[in-house]
Amino acid sequence: MAQFTRFAGLSMLGLMLGSAALAQGYPERQITMVVPFSAGGPTDTVARLVAEKMSESLGQQIIVENVGGAGGTLGAGRVASAEADGYTVLLHHIGMATSATLYRSLAYDTLNAFDYVGLVTEVPMTLVARKDFEPADMAAFVSYVKENADSITLANAGIGAASHLCGMLFMQALDAPIVTVPYKGTGPAMTDLLGGQVDIMCDQTTNTSEQVRGGTIKAYAVTTPERLEIFPDLPTVAEAGLPGMEVAIWHGIYAPKGTPPEAIEKLSAALQAALADEGVAAKMADLGTAPSPAEDATPQALQAKLESEIDRWKPVIEAAGVYAD
Amino acid sequence: MDLFSNLALGFSTAATPANLFFCLIGALLGTLVGVLPGIGVTATIAMLLPITFQLEPVSSLIMLAGIYYGAQYGGSTTAILINLPGESSSAVTAIDGYQMARNGKAGTALAIAALGSFFAGTFATLLVAIFAPPLTIIALKFGAAEYFSLMLLGLVSAIALAHGSVPKALAMVVLGLLLGLVGTDIYTGTPRFNFGITNFADGLNFVALAVGVFGIAEILRNLEDERSRKVITSQVGSLFPSREDLRKMLAPMMRGTVLGSALGVLPGGGAILASFAAYTVEKRLSKEPHTFGKGAVAGVAGPESANNAGAQTSFIPLLTLGIPANPVMALMVGAMIIQGIVPGPNVASEQPALFWGVIASMWIGNLMLVILNLPLIGLWVRLLKVPYFVLFPIILAFCSIGVYSVNSNVFDLYSVAMFGLLGYVLIKLRCEPAPLLLGFVLGPLLEENLRRAMILGRGDPMVFVTRPISATLLALTVVVLIVVLLPSVRAKREEVFVED
Amino acid sequence: MKTAFDPTDAAAGVLFILFGLFFGVQSLGLDLGTAFRMGPGYFPLILSGVLILLGAVILAGSLGATAQDFGAMAWRGMLFILPAPIVFGLTVRGLGFVPSIFLTAFVAGFASLKMSPARALVLAVAITIFSTLVFSYGLGLPFRRFGPWLPM
Repeated sequence: MAQFTRFAGLSMLGLMLGSAALAQGYPERQITMVVPFSAGGPTDTVARLVAEKMSESLGQQIIVENVGGAGGTLGAGRVASAEADGYTVLLHHIGMATSATLYRSLAYDTLNAFDYVGLVTEVPMTLVARKDFEPADMAAFVSYVKENADSITLANAGIGAASHLCGMLFMQALDAPIVTVPYKGTGPAMTDLLGGQVDIMCDQTTNTSEQVRGGTIKAYAVTTPERLEIFPDLPTVAEAGLPGMEVAIWHGIYAPKGTPPEAIEKLSAALQAALADEGVAAKMADLGTAPSPAEDATPQALQAKLESEIDRWKPVIEAAGVYAD
Repeated sequence: MDLFSNLALGFSTAATPANLFFCLIGALLGTLVGVLPGIGVTATIAMLLPITFQLEPVSSLIMLAGIYYGAQYGGSTTAILINLPGESSSAVTAIDGYQMARNGKAGTALAIAALGSFFAGTFATLLVAIFAPPLTIIALKFGAAEYFSLMLLGLVSAIALAHGSVPKALAMVVLGLLLGLVGTDIYTGTPRFNFGITNFADGLNFVALAVGVFGIAEILRNLEDERSRKVITSQVGSLFPSREDLRKMLAPMMRGTVLGSALGVLPGGGAILASFAAYTVEKRLSKEPHTFGKGAVAGVAGPESANNAGAQTSFIPLLTLGIPANPVMALMVGAMIIQGIVPGPNVASEQPALFWGVIASMWIGNLMLVILNLPLIGLWVRLLKVPYFVLFPIILAFCSIGVYSVNSNVFDLYSVAMFGLLGYVLIKLRCEPAPLLLGFVLGPLLEENLRRAMILGRGDPMVFVTRPISATLLALTVVVLIVVLLPSVRAKREEVFVED
Repeated sequence: MKTAFDPTDAAAGVLFILFGLFFGVQSLGLDLGTAFRMGPGYFPLILSGVLILLGAVILAGSLGATAQDFGAMAWRGMLFILPAPIVFGLTVRGLGFVPSIFLTAFVAGFASLKMSPARALVLAVAITIFSTLVFSYGLGLPFRRFGPWLPM
C-alpha cells in the first residue's frame, strides 16, 4: 500500500520542513525501499525500523513503499526492473529464496536480477500448540505427533508463509503426514489455535512470543541452533533430535543488478550503522529477534545466504509438491 | 468499581490536551481522506499509518483509532452523496442513502448516518469496556463450521438488498462469489480464473470493483441522454432530520447497534456482515418495506449504526488477544509493533493506561466526529449544487488516484474501467450491484471456511449440524429464507397485477 | 409494450448463463478434489451450476413478461469515461503524477455534452493543482510528480 514517511506526516500536520541535508554524490535525493508485503505486517515493521535509522546516516529520507501481492514476487519484480541507480531498493525475507522454486514462472531471475546490500535480521521460529494439547514436553510432543499424525491438525498461514515452510520441514523431519489446514494469514491461523480449533503450528516469535507468555498457547521448541533469551526453558529442535528443522526467517536488502558499487557500499554501511543502534536492537528484542551482526550485513553474506537457501528449499518444496503459480 | 477506576484511568489518559489533539487530528484526517471518492477505510489507514509512527504509543493508537472512525464517517458521506462506497459496509448505506440524496434529502441522510453512528459508537464503547474478556471467549468458539453457517445466513440476507427480482439478486450474489474466487487458491496455490495475469494472483481489488461497479457505472447512468433530462436533482431540501425522521430512526438505530456489536466481535468477517444483516432485519420488520431502496430512513440508520458498532467491537479481539479481526486491525497491529508494543493477551494487564486510554478515546473520537460532522453536512450537501459535468471529472480523477494508491499497481486502474463497463451493463439489465459486492466479499471467506470445516471434520458434512452454534445458525438461515421468500413471491404477484 | 418477452430480462438471463459457463468450464480444468479435501475447482463448479440455473430461471421468466423501456445508452460517456482511469494507468509511471492526472481529468471532461474544450482545460488544470497539493504534498503519497519520459 502507498506509504509515506515521518517527514511527509509532519508536513501534513502543517510543519513544512525544508529539503533534507545536502549530500555530496550519492544519495542526492530520497530513496525508495520497496517492501513486497502490505503495510503493518512483520516485514514492513522490520523495514521501517531499519529505514528510519538508515535515513539518518545517509542524510536522505528512505521512503518505504509497500508493493504487495503474489507472495512478494510482484514487489521483487518491480525492483528487478527498476533503474539501477541506487534509489530503489528491496527489503525481502526468506521468500526471496523459496519463491525461486515455489513460482515456476517468475518475471525475474532471482539469482541474476539483483545486487546485494546485506542481511538485516533472522527471526527465530517456535513450535506451538493449543494450550490444552496433551504432551508435556518436546520429547513427548514428538512421539505423540508421530503416533497420532492422522488426527492432528497443523495450521499454516498460506503457501510460502513462514509457518508453511516450517510446517513442511517439521513433517519432513518427523516423516509424519499431518493434516494441514491453510489460513489466509497468520491472524486467522492464530485465532483458531487460541480457540483450540486446530492443534499445532510453527511460526515466527514475532507472532507467538506474547501468546506463549500470556499462557494462551503452549510452546515446545525453538528452531534456532541455540536457545533463545526470551524462552530459556524451550529446547532447540536439534536438542529434540530434529536437527534438519533449523529455520529462521531471514531478511535482506537488495538493489537492482548493476547498481553503482559506491551506492551499494554506502547502503551497506548505513545498514550496519542502523543495526548497531541500540534502539533498533531493543525494538527487535521486543519481537524476539536480534539485528544481524555487522559481518552478515554485507553483500557477500546476503548473496551466500540467498544461494544456499535456494538450494536448501528446492528439494523440500519439490518433495511436498506444492507450487504457488 | 474496577470498571469505574479503569475508565477513569482511560479518560485521564485520553483526555490530556496532547491526546485530545491527536484524536481530533485523526478524526479530521480520516474524515477528509474518507470523503475523497475512491478511497476506503483500509486504504486511508494504510496511507496515514506512517504519520503516527513518531508519536507516543498511546497517542499513536488514539490517532489511528480516530482515523479509522473518521474514514468510516467519510466513507458513508461519499456513499450517500455520489453512490460511491469505499468499503463493503457503506455499500449498504449507498442503497437508500443515495436515493434520499436524489430525493433532496441528502442532509437528512448524512445527519441520520452521523447520529446513528454516534449512538452505536457510545453503546459499543461501553460494551468493549465491560464485556471485552467474556465476548472474546464466545468469539473463540467460532470455528470454520460456524463461520460458514454465519456467511450462509449473511448471503440469504442479500435477497433483501435488492428491490427488484429475487432470482436476479441471487444471480448477482453468486456472480459476486465467483468473482471473489479469482486469484490464487490458498489451499493449493493453484491460480484460477486469472487469464494468466500475474496481477490477479491475489484476486480482484475490492476498491477497483466498488469504484467501477458503483461509481463509474453511476456516472455513466447520469450521463445518459444529457440533453433531454436533468441529470441530478440540485434541490437540497432540509438539512436536518425532522421529528418524524428521528422517530423512524430510533428503533433501527438500536437494533443495528446490537446486531453490529455482536457481529463485530467475531474475527474473520463478522463485521462485514453487520451492515448487510441490519438492512435485512430492518426491511423485514418495517411496516413499509416497499420504501426500501427508494430512500428509507431505516435503511440508512440501521446499517450505519451496525457498521459503526461493529467497527468498535472489532477492537475486542485485538485488545484482548492481539488478533486482528479485519485488515484495518492488522494495520493497527503493525502500528503497535512499530511502537514497541507486541499485541497479545498481556496488553490489558501490563499496559493498563494504553488499553483503557484507547477505549476511552473511542468514545471521545466518536463525540468529536459527530460535533465535526453535523456542521459539515451543510458543506457536503452544497457539493451537490456543483454542476454534474464539473463533478464527475473530479470524481474520476480522485478515484484513479485512490485506486492506484492502494497497491501502486496500474493494473487496478484497468480493472476500474472493466468493472465500470460491467457495472453499467448490469444496471441497464436492471440488476442491482449491492448483492454482487456482498458476494464478492464473502466468496473467498465462504469457500475457505467450507473447505476448512470439511478438513477439520475429516470430510463429514455432519460437522455443520453437530456443532450447536453452527446448527443454530443454519436453522436460522432456513427460517430467514422462508420468511424472505414467501412475501416476495406474493409481492411479485401484486406487482404483476398493478402493471396490467 | 405488447411483445411476448422482455428483452432486458432475457439478456440478463443469457449474461448470467454465459458467466456460469465461463467459470464452470474453467473450474472443470482445475482439480476438483474430494469432499474431505476440496480442490480449487470444487466450490466454483457448484457456484457455476447455481448461476447457470438462476440464469435459466431469469430467462424463462422473461418469456411472457411485458417489455420495459431500456432507456438511452451513454455511448459518449463510455467513450470518454472508461478510458480515463486507463490513461492514468498508462502514464502515471512514465509522465509522472502531475501530467497524468491532468490528462485523466481532461479526457474525462469530454464525456459531457455541456463541456467545451476551454472549460475542460480549466477544470483539468484546477483538478491537477488540487490533487497535487492534497495527495502529493499533503498526504505525501510516493508518486513521482514528473516522470522519466519528460526531459527535465
